[in-house]
Formats: sequence, C-alpha cells, structure tokens
Amino acid sequence: MKPSVASLYQAVELQQEIPPLFIGERANSNGSKKFRELLLADDYGSCLRIAVEQEARGAHVIDLCTAYAGRDEMTDLTTLVRLCAGGLKAPLMIDSTTPEVIEACLRIYPGRAIVNSINLEDGGVNIRRVCRAAKKYGAAVVALTIDELGMAMTADDKLRVARAIHAIAVDECGLRPQDLLFDCLTFTVGSGDKTLRDAALQTLEGILRIKAELPGCLTVLGVSNISFGLAPAARRLLNSVFLHEAVAAGLDAAIVDTARILPLARISTEDRQVCLDLLHNRQEDGEKDALMRFIDHFSGASSTTTDEEQETARPHEQQLFHKVLNGDKDGLEDLLAILRERFKPIDIINQILVPAMRHVGELFGKGELLLPFVLQSAEVMKASVTLLEPFMDRNDGDSATRILLATVQGDVHDIGKNLVDIILSNNGYTVFNIGIKVPAETVIEKARELQVDLIGLSGLLVKSAIVMQESLPQYREAGLTVPVLLGGAALTPKFVAQSCVPNYSGPVVYCSDAFAGLKAVREFEEGRLQSTRYDSAAAVQPMKPGVRDTVLDRTNLVPAPPFIGLRYVQDIDPAKLFPLVNAQALFRGRWGYRRGKMSAEEYRQLIDGTVQPLYEQLQHRSVEKGWIQPRVAYGYFRCHAKEDSLHVEADGREYTFAFPRQAEAPFLCIADYFKSAEEGGDVAGFFVVTIGAQIGKETNRLYQENAYHDYLMLHGFSVEVTDALAEYWHGVMRRELSIGGALKDVQGAVTQEYQGSRYGFGYPACPDLDVHRSLFKFLKPEAIGITLTENMQMVPEQTTSAIVVHHPQAKYFAV
Amino acid sequence: MSATDIERYICANCGYVYDPAVGESMNTVLPGTSFTDLPEAWVCPMCYASTDQFDLLD
Repeated sequence: MKPSVASLYQAVELQQEIPPLFIGERANSNGSKKFRELLLADDYGSCLRIAVEQEARGAHVIDLCTAYAGRDEMTDLTTLVRLCAGGLKAPLMIDSTTPEVIEACLRIYPGRAIVNSINLEDGGVNIRRVCRAAKKYGAAVVALTIDELGMAMTADDKLRVARAIHAIAVDECGLRPQDLLFDCLTFTVGSGDKTLRDAALQTLEGILRIKAELPGCLTVLGVSNISFGLAPAARRLLNSVFLHEAVAAGLDAAIVDTARILPLARISTEDRQVCLDLLHNRQEDGEKDALMRFIDHFSGASSTTTDEEQETARPHEQQLFHKVLNGDKDGLEDLLAILRERFKPIDIINQILVPAMRHVGELFGKGELLLPFVLQSAEVMKASVTLLEPFMDRNDGDSATRILLATVQGDVHDIGKNLVDIILSNNGYTVFNIGIKVPAETVIEKARELQVDLIGLSGLLVKSAIVMQESLPQYREAGLTVPVLLGGAALTPKFVAQSCVPNYSGPVVYCSDAFAGLKAVREFEEGRLQSTRYDSAAAVQPMKPGVRDTVLDRTNLVPAPPFIGLRYVQDIDPAKLFPLVNAQALFRGRWGYRRGKMSAEEYRQLIDGTVQPLYEQLQHRSVEKGWIQPRVAYGYFRCHAKEDSLHVEADGREYTFAFPRQAEAPFLCIADYFKSAEEGGDVAGFFVVTIGAQIGKETNRLYQENAYHDYLMLHGFSVEVTDALAEYWHGVMRRELSIGGALKDVQGAVTQEYQGSRYGFGYPACPDLDVHRSLFKFLKPEAIGITLTENMQMVPEQTTSAIVVHHPQAKYFAV
Repeated sequence: MSATDIERYICANCGYVYDPAVGESMNTVLPGTSFTDLPEAWVCPMCYASTDQFDLLD
C-alpha cells in the first residue's frame, strides 16, 4: 500500500501523483500573527476556519501548532485537534515539541496523523518517547536533521543525522521507513552570509542523498526559510522556484502557505533565471554575485505578487490596483480611507479602479486570466465602490454611459445577463438590470424613462432569439434609435445580421459574451459602434455532424414498459447524482476554468488544488443544506408516428407532437424513430425532472450580495446537477425498458454509449418549446412544482424535459 | 509523427474528447487527422461547439 495519512473523512497519499504533498502552514501560533491573535482570544472556531481555508486553497494536510508562551498548549492543541477532527477533511499534522501533548493528541485524533517533529537535539530522549507513541497510534513522523551539535548545515551532516534518527525510529522503535519524513532544513540564501551561499545546494543534495540512501523514507521541507531576509515580493518568487528545484531533487512534501506558491509558468524566464542563479550560487567572471543581482533585479518590485508586507510598502494607488487585479478584498476599507484623504471618490473610481478592471479584461482577452478570477476582481471593484458611495456627490457618475439590461419575454435565464451586468457595472458604467421575462413594452418604457444610451437583450433559447427578432420592429416604431446589443446561446452573427439588423433603425450588435458587450459599449463611446455584419461568401458554414445513413430499421422490437401512464418520484438521494455530473463540462464550460496557455501539470494543479475542492465543497454543502430536491414526473405512453408528428395516447385522448425535420440530408425527424399505426404503433417515454427551486433562490441570493464568483460557481453546479438528474433518470428508464442501463462512466453518457436517445426539448433535435404545451397536459409536472412561462419555458430554471426514444439507431442530431 | 499529431482535445462545453487515433465518424473525419488539421467548420459531434471551445487534454 502506498504510504498515506488519513482524517475521519479521507486518506491522502504522502507521495502525490504530482508532488509535492502540500502541508498548510498558517494554523501555527508561531508562524501566523492572525492565528496567534485568535488563539489568544480563545476563538477556536476562527482558528478552525484558518485550517479550513487552507484546505480550500489546496493544502492536502494541515499543520496545527499552538505552542505559545503563557498558553496551556495541552488544552489548546487537544481542543483544536478535536475540532479539526470533525470539521476538516484534510488529515492533521500535529506540531509540538512536547511529548505529553503529542501523545494526548494522537490518542484523540480519529485518523492517521503526522507528528511534527522529532530530532536529536537532546541526545535522544524525547525522540524515543514520541516514536513509540507514533508506533502505538499509527502516526507518521517528521524528523528534523538536528542533533546535539545543532542544525545540520551540509549535505553530509544532514545525511548523518538522518541515519542516526533512522536507527532509533526504525530499528529500535519499530516504525517503518515510510513512516518517516525527513526535513533537511534550509537556511536563507538571502542574508549575504558567505557560509550560507550554498545553503540551497546543501539542502537539495541532502534530499537527494536521503532518498537514495534511506530507501522508503520520505522527505519534507519548510520552503520559505530559503528567502528569509529578502524583500517580500521577491521571496514569493524565490520560494516557488526553490520548491520546484526541491521536488526535482526528490522532495515528497512541502510545508507552505499554498496561497503564496506560484506555478512556475507564471514566473517570467528572466525572474526564474535570477532565482536559479541565487539558489545555485552561480557567478560568472566579472559579474556581481548572485545575491546582489537578485536584489537589483527585484528592486523595482514590478511583479504582480500580493505579499501583504510588500503591499504596505507600495504606493496606495498601486495597492488598490493590485487588489482588484488579484481579487483581494482584505483591508480594502482602510486602504480606501487613506486614498480618500488625497483623492475624490470619483477619481479613485475612474483613475484606479476602472483602469484596473480594464487591465483585468485585457488579461482575460489574452487568455491569461480565467473567468472565475475576473469575477473575484469585479467583487473587489464592487466592494470598493460600495465603500466609496457614501462619500460621493450626488451627481458624481452622472456622465457615465447608461445601459438597460433585460432577459426577453418568456425567458427565465439570467446568468448571461447578470454576467454582463457584473462586467459593465464594474467597469464604471451605469447599468439598469430590469430582470427576466421582460416584455418589449416594458423595455421601451424603461429605456425612455431612464434615458439609456444602449439596450442589452439576453435570452438562452432558440425561442428567445425569435423574440428578439420579432420585437425589434416594435422598438423602431416606438422611435428608439439607441444601439441594441444582443446576447444568448442560440444567437449567431449570421442570425443577428440577417434577421435582426434590418428590423431596427439603430445599430444592432451581436455579443458573444460579456466582454464582447463591454467592447461594444466602448466602441459606442468612441462613436464607432456598428451593426453586426455577415459576409456569407467569406463565412465558414459550420459542419452538421450526424449519421449519414438514412435507412432506419423498421423491424426493431418495441420494448415492454413496466407500466403505461404517469408516475412521480420524489425520494431520490442527491448523492446518487454526483457520479453522473459531467465535471469536465462544469469546470471548463460552466465555470470557465479553461486550460488556455497552462501546461498539463499547471492545469492539473489548478484543478486539484482549487477547482475539485470547490466542487466537493459545493456537493457537501448542497446536500447538507437541502438545496437539491430531485423530483421526477415521467411515464410511458402508447403512440404512433405519422409523418413529422408523434401521436401520443394519454388520459384517453390523443396529443400531437409536431417535430421539426432536418432541411438537408439525411432529413431526420424525431418522429422517424417511431412506428406508424400501420406498423403496429410504438411506445414513447417522457420525463420532466427538476432539482427544485431552492438552489435557484440560493444562487440569486449570492448575486444580490455581489458574491459574483460564488454565484457563477453555484449556478454552473446547479445546471450540471440538473443534467445529471436527467442522465440518471434516462438510465432508470432504459433499465425499465430493458434496453441497457448502466453507463461505465460519464464519458459514456457524453458519447451516448447506450441504446436509444433522449432528446431534450429546446435542444438541437427539437429547439421549439411549443411541445411543452402537449407534454404538460398529460405529464402534469405541476404536481412536482414545475410551471410554464408564456413562451413555454419551465420554472424553476433547474428543470429539464425530454422524450426518451428506444430505437437502436436514435442518436443526437440537429435540425 | 510529431507530438501535435496525437494530442487529444476536450470539448469544454460537453466533455467530448477528440482523439486523432480514432478520428470522428459523425463529421467523417478519418483516423490519423490531428486536431489542428480539422476543417475550420468542424464542430463537436455531440454538442456542436466550435473548435475554439476545445482545450488541449494531454
């Protein structure tokens, strides 16, 4: 078995597939002022929160240290170990030098912990006691290469002390080699002390030799000592480069502040080289020594790091700019109070905050910043403006461009519109977001009343695109000429140019996302906004994937459903849905964690360290709070096809579903997969599934509270869990029809590795939602809380509907 | 064969994986076609997303 440690909830391998194992260092009374102050205030709950925060930022194991003069370490540490045992998913590292305290903690900890630490400073007394306790309770142990002579400086000494510890811990006390994590210690290369110039090299060599000569043993290192005494911004870079070097030398685990470790690729080649020269003590003839070059190189401190100490040394304007850039809200109020002494609030907004957001937008455009981070920046912007507002003159900001935003009539989807609101309002524009399902009359009335400069219309489904097209003449007749920006998943530049632009007198502009909307508003201000144009000669027509054979088997057997008619199901365990969630679509698509320019390893780190923990946290929280209430209305019905229609028998009458047919080969239509009356008729399945309204309410609350990032996360999560429920229920129905049920993985669902197909209403094979009119009459999903809007969309938003087709040749297609 | 010839790409919208070794029958793409050699008009066979919605997987 691979060496691992465990909490009550999970086991964590000490040798991570992508090393190192990250051990969070902030829950330490000696290392963190914040933690110490909380401890001194006996605020154990907040101490636990520091541990939990590190877990959320990617720490695999949390170091816990409460030793502090005047405090009762036994009480403090055992109390916190108990709290962490229940409240922390990550296993604990019990950090103490007192054997009694270590023993007490191991006794009460319900997992396999790591003890930090043993050494030979006292000649070998405590080490034996701690090793025996570790053996008894099954813990791993960090061993520092310190003996009576002090901390081992050279690789030779580090190995020598490690061997001596190994002899006691393994040979004498019965620990296994893999229970030991040797910490070779490191000294700073930043002090200028000549004897320490090769400190990094000695440590790297020490790691290499311990790994080679004490097989099975592991290594750990507190990385940040390497840069002690240097400027904070440069420290972060040096620490990150050193960690990379140490891992290359064989380091298994690192004690770090995970929030301050940068991926190597985020460090410029030049910065990296200067760091490497210092670590490797390189000096060419006639060159200044590596430390001097390092200090010179970073004296401009133009890096984008956010070290708190560095922050305070920077001009306040720059600090605010970087807070926006880094999505960091800490200390915002104080910083703004200082800036207000020198600047008018409106100038702080226009000259610092707006340019910062503009820079954020540029980074997003270049693929260097992902959407979730953009939203965190917008949160800082919003929080700053909220703090400044009480000090602003009434007419400040009156000159800003005014934009009206609405989701069109009958459409309940507001994530797209709200993202546009977030981006525009946090770029200094005045946005009037008048909500969802807004009739054209209301848009016209509000546009006049509020004297807006532009109108932005949004809508997700095909029907909404039609609504936009058809309402534009109304806007024209009302005398409006302000530019109209259109956004939504069903829109294309072609549709906007050919079907919308001619219907209005002012510019009509297609916007693919919120940033395209921002670009359009800027072009408007510069007087060069123009209607979307579409050059059909130059444009590439997207391909139409799909089966090419048109001969559908007419001899397929009609499966026997377990019942005919309608049923409701309300007792589905939400946990059953999570394995079916399409995590790739969630992370990359809904959440915007695209790989972009990252290497495979950097992307893995982002996913493992940030995204996956967040996803798991949402799973736990949504179950715990009852946000997911899966409900299903479904049934099997006799039916027969007649040309493009499916005639369904239910409640003693017949309901007609008119399905669209492809306009080009192979001219498919959903009705084709069903037998005609002459062929003996057929059976169709239908379902409407929902995860309830609660999660939508929660999502909306986050938006109202300007928690933009969490808003996007929870919304995306709710969409994919809804889809997982549809996938799950489709599986149930396939089993009931005996046409093959279980999928081996989510990928199998993506590529339809099963018999038949489910065609969602509103999706490519059947974009028109009018079929809901018939469906709702006999499936009666009102009984599980689902209603229809005037243009046939389902409420709550986290609802989906489909027809389940059993024909073996049925697969997705688009009309 | 260079590295890009065998690199797989994943659709950010639906999770479909394009594998050059397999090609893609729904758009009649032959095995051995690298992602970068796909026609400009190629779309995800499952969700119709365009190539800019794909991330390098490996």
